[in-house]
Amino acid sequence: MKTTTFRRLCALALVAFACTCALAAPALIANKNVAAEKLDAATLKSVFLGKKVAWDGAGRITLAVLKGGPVAEDFLKGAVDMNVSAFNNHWRRLAMTGGGTAPKSFEKDEDLRKFVAETPGAIGFVDSASVDASVAVLTPAP
Amino acid sequence: MNNSSNLPGLGRAVLAILLCGALAQSASAAIPVGNSNVQIGGFFSQGYLYDNASNFPTEDKGGTFDFREMAFNVSTTYGAHLRVGAQAFAQRFGNIGEDKVVLDWAVADYNFSSAFGVRLGRVKYPKGLYGEALDLDIVRPFIFLPNAVYNPVLRDFASAVNGASIYGSVNAGKSSFDYKLFYGKIPMSPDKGVAEFYNNFGAYSNAAGGVGALKMDYAAGGQLVWNTPISGLKAVYSRSWFSNLQSDGPFIAYPAANMHSNIPKFTWDTISAEYATGNWTFASEWQRTGGTISYGAVPFTPIIVSAVGWDAWYVSAARRINDKLELGAYYADLKPRYPGGGGSAANRQNDLDASIRYDVSEHLTCKLEIHWIDGNYQFFNTPRISNPTLPNSSTVIAVKTTFSF
Repeated sequence: MKTTTFRRLCALALVAFACTCALAAPALIANKNVAAEKLDAATLKSVFLGKKVAWDGAGRITLAVLKGGPVAEDFLKGAVDMNVSAFNNHWRRLAMTGGGTAPKSFEKDEDLRKFVAETPGAIGFVDSASVDASVAVLTPAP
Repeated sequence: MNNSSNLPGLGRAVLAILLCGALAQSASAAIPVGNSNVQIGGFFSQGYLYDNASNFPTEDKGGTFDFREMAFNVSTTYGAHLRVGAQAFAQRFGNIGEDKVVLDWAVADYNFSSAFGVRLGRVKYPKGLYGEALDLDIVRPFIFLPNAVYNPVLRDFASAVNGASIYGSVNAGKSSFDYKLFYGKIPMSPDKGVAEFYNNFGAYSNAAGGVGALKMDYAAGGQLVWNTPISGLKAVYSRSWFSNLQSDGPFIAYPAANMHSNIPKFTWDTISAEYATGNWTFASEWQRTGGTISYGAVPFTPIIVSAVGWDAWYVSAARRINDKLELGAYYADLKPRYPGGGGSAANRQNDLDASIRYDVSEHLTCKLEIHWIDGNYQFFNTPRISNPTLPNSSTVIAVKTTFSF
């Protein structure tokens, strides 16, 4: 009886885990002072590759990125057409050759979201499940 | 003449202290200092270099640990558009570099828009796919970029210019174009790697110290990158030139006389392509250099005028196996344009490379690579890189560990 219950609990946990993985999707977030900026896919790519360094009215852009994981892979593939390794190498090249200021990188979604909420001009991405009212959620035009 | 950015011993000590301080911190690719917008970064590498038959690419026959690099940079921003930063760099590459700390780059960068920015100071020299990131071996599986296009002996000479550059990026439908234009001075001195080219030339008396003075009026050029609509594919054209590249030193036949040379214009043209797909990265570059040199030890010799230059190309492939392991290989070909390359070993340098990279952690990388080299074109026989006899082929093994933060 105990064995059967344990198996059912394990199965339930697996299903819950699978659902969590399936729901993990990146959300583009920014400091609330960025909410009024116009953002399309090409501009977003310029922002995350360090080509555009200032918003039209919200000061200097500060990038915040997750160090790795499926959310980072999904977001970077969609936004800049790179995997995490290529994105990191791109920024290492820039930062080490005088070409740009590297993004702030975070292990946890919560820390990234807090940083973005507290830093004017900041933009980053987190798992959509981690978004709250402290940040603006952006949807770039195609 | 040594008016470059060599720092005194104190500078070296400061660099070492800053490096130790940085290593003591919990590090990321670039470390923010407290809550400020100041970032620091850098790397330290130590390697072992072995050549079974010659001293190539530097003094390494039988093996040497004189193979290391270190860099430390600081940068910050002011307002929305201005960024300032600098990087100190030191290397030991056989008898080249001698661990002297030099200013690698130092820029005040004002970005008006994504389409136009200006950098003033000591700015990186854009040449080919990887010219600005020669030292940054953590972004590739290879220890050495192909010698044919990126000769490491020239690293301390052609990595940056004291001047200015403009840059920008323009979107064009599903593709984009990035451009850079630069102008500046390259500080030159006989202790830099470029002196090996002159001391290998056969006109200067190496017994009397070799070339004694080097100078040029300016270096200028530009680069255009086409980020094509095809995902992961980019094409690059780079062109640059040196104006009035001059040298003086003791004439080999009569050291009391001065041998003078001048190259009014020496050009570098490089066409490159890189394609990244999945875990693969493919690259290929073709480079042509050229100019006309006049030299003589008047009145003991007439002024001789001849063409100089070389052609080079390579193809490379790299594959990331997993988070830890990456493999790479390339084949490179280098030959003189005058006289036409090919034929004898002295007129060719073919390099087949195989590399393994293992990332121990986010900050620590180990590499091993082997080069099978056929021919000996651009092998030097100078006081710092001695090759009294040149083999027709040689094998070079390199091992390197890099800590980056």
